[in-house]
Amino acid sequence: MKNALEKFLKIDRRLIFLALTVLLFAPIVRPLGLPNKNLGKDVVNTYNYIEALPERSFVMLSLDYDPATRPELHPQAVALVKHALRRNLRVGIFTLNAGATGMIEDIAARIPKDIAPDKVYGRDYVIMPFQPNPVAVMTQLGINLYEIYDKDRNGNPTKDMEVMKGVKSVKDMGLGICITGTAMLDYYVAYVADKYKFPMAGGVTAVSQPGYGPYLQTGQLKGLIGGMKGAADYETLINDLEKGTSGIDALSLAHVLVIVLILTSNIIMLVLKYL
Amino acid sequence: MEFLGNTWNAFAAIFTVTPGWMTFGGWVAAGLTICLFSFLYKDNPFFKVAEHLYLGAGMGWLFQVYLFQTWKPKVFLPLMEGQYSVLIPTLLGLSLVTQFFPRISWISRYGFTFIMGYGSGLVIPLTISTDFLKQIGGTIAPFMVSEINSGNIMSLLNGTFVAFGFICVLFYFFFSVEHKGAVKKASNIGIYFLMLYFGAAFGNTVMGRFSLLYGRFDDLYKYSAPDYFYATHVVLGLLVAYFILDKLVLSRRGGGQEAH
Repeated sequence: MKNALEKFLKIDRRLIFLALTVLLFAPIVRPLGLPNKNLGKDVVNTYNYIEALPERSFVMLSLDYDPATRPELHPQAVALVKHALRRNLRVGIFTLNAGATGMIEDIAARIPKDIAPDKVYGRDYVIMPFQPNPVAVMTQLGINLYEIYDKDRNGNPTKDMEVMKGVKSVKDMGLGICITGTAMLDYYVAYVADKYKFPMAGGVTAVSQPGYGPYLQTGQLKGLIGGMKGAADYETLINDLEKGTSGIDALSLAHVLVIVLILTSNIIMLVLKYL
Repeated sequence: MEFLGNTWNAFAAIFTVTPGWMTFGGWVAAGLTICLFSFLYKDNPFFKVAEHLYLGAGMGWLFQVYLFQTWKPKVFLPLMEGQYSVLIPTLLGLSLVTQFFPRISWISRYGFTFIMGYGSGLVIPLTISTDFLKQIGGTIAPFMVSEINSGNIMSLLNGTFVAFGFICVLFYFFFSVEHKGAVKKASNIGIYFLMLYFGAAFGNTVMGRFSLLYGRFDDLYKYSAPDYFYATHVVLGLLVAYFILDKLVLSRRGGGQEAH
């Protein structure tokens, strides 16, 4: 008995990898449809803030994530674009991360197809080109954004676009949301939100989510979407389930595996030590 | 210049996205993902190839983004239109490249001086305001008379808990006084608050890593479809065949190292 328990503690970790693979893969092949009933308070706050904006308000979406964090952050971005466009808000997609341009291409291709086919580029939304040096760009966003964003990503002048009507700086926008797996949201809080009294919300990876608690407590951030769970929450709120929600099945199963392994190992350790 | 432009356009036309290229992309994506995951079983040449390709492709992508979305519209086109003022930031930026040439590397100081100057001017006051003063304000806010008068007991309790934890953690990081007596007790409570944060952060990290893994599996499932000619199945099968072959034949020569 004791030998068997000791053997279990020295289990080949590749077996754990295999179990994890099966548990994460199975719901992709055959979705279980586990419910997502606990919506995060900060996700609901982000949703409510967008809901309260007057129609045709301008929302700045700064998509600053790269393929490394795509599974967590891309569903957040898609859900936010859907919500904003369906609420008849104007959307400006910006990026200060060169790695994000590919993901923005995906969103640009999806808007006329399935996100909001009735919306027109240049009238309802615009996509700006990548710009380096985030701090310089953010500073300029509060003064005159046309000094940097005089043309969109296709080289068309932005100033005359209907979507940009009445928007000269962040002071003319309703909300800014930065979705990032880096420290870009911290920069936005310091150089845009605090400096220009501009309402900002964020979408971040689960890893960095706890670190933004202080900004939420002080109101420096109006809301926060964290990881794939946050994306699933947002998809539930806009009643349009997609990649974030389908990941909840897999995450729930994987978490059960981790909990079972931790509990089993600890019980075995106690048995070996005291019995 | 026109010849260069035409040549580039002809070259770029080869890579116009077609269904064939999409299928090829699926094979590359599935192949690289499985090759990188193969390290979990043991080190192998396919993992090394994928690792190097990842770095190379990443740098190539960043280079073209900077070239076409920054350098061309912000430097090349304005210069062509006679806006020579862009030469000032361009030269400052180029001065940083002189770091690679020891004899003239002193020129890079001008670029660095500019970066340091405006960087410090922007960062220092705003960081003090955002991360220091506002956080102190946020900790005190629940105890303000207006808040207390509003009768929100939960807010007051939450504020008390946060302020208590804040002070205890500060004691833990205060090294100018010997940690004994009341200071030691406060410092020890501070450790519990820190552990709570680390626990929450670690839990979220585990969830985040699983999400990323799920994302790759989701793509692998997509590439296992007939549209992609079963790319995932084929690549996985080939890699398994390699490992079996390696075990049977090549291991005599001293096989790869296992992942640690």
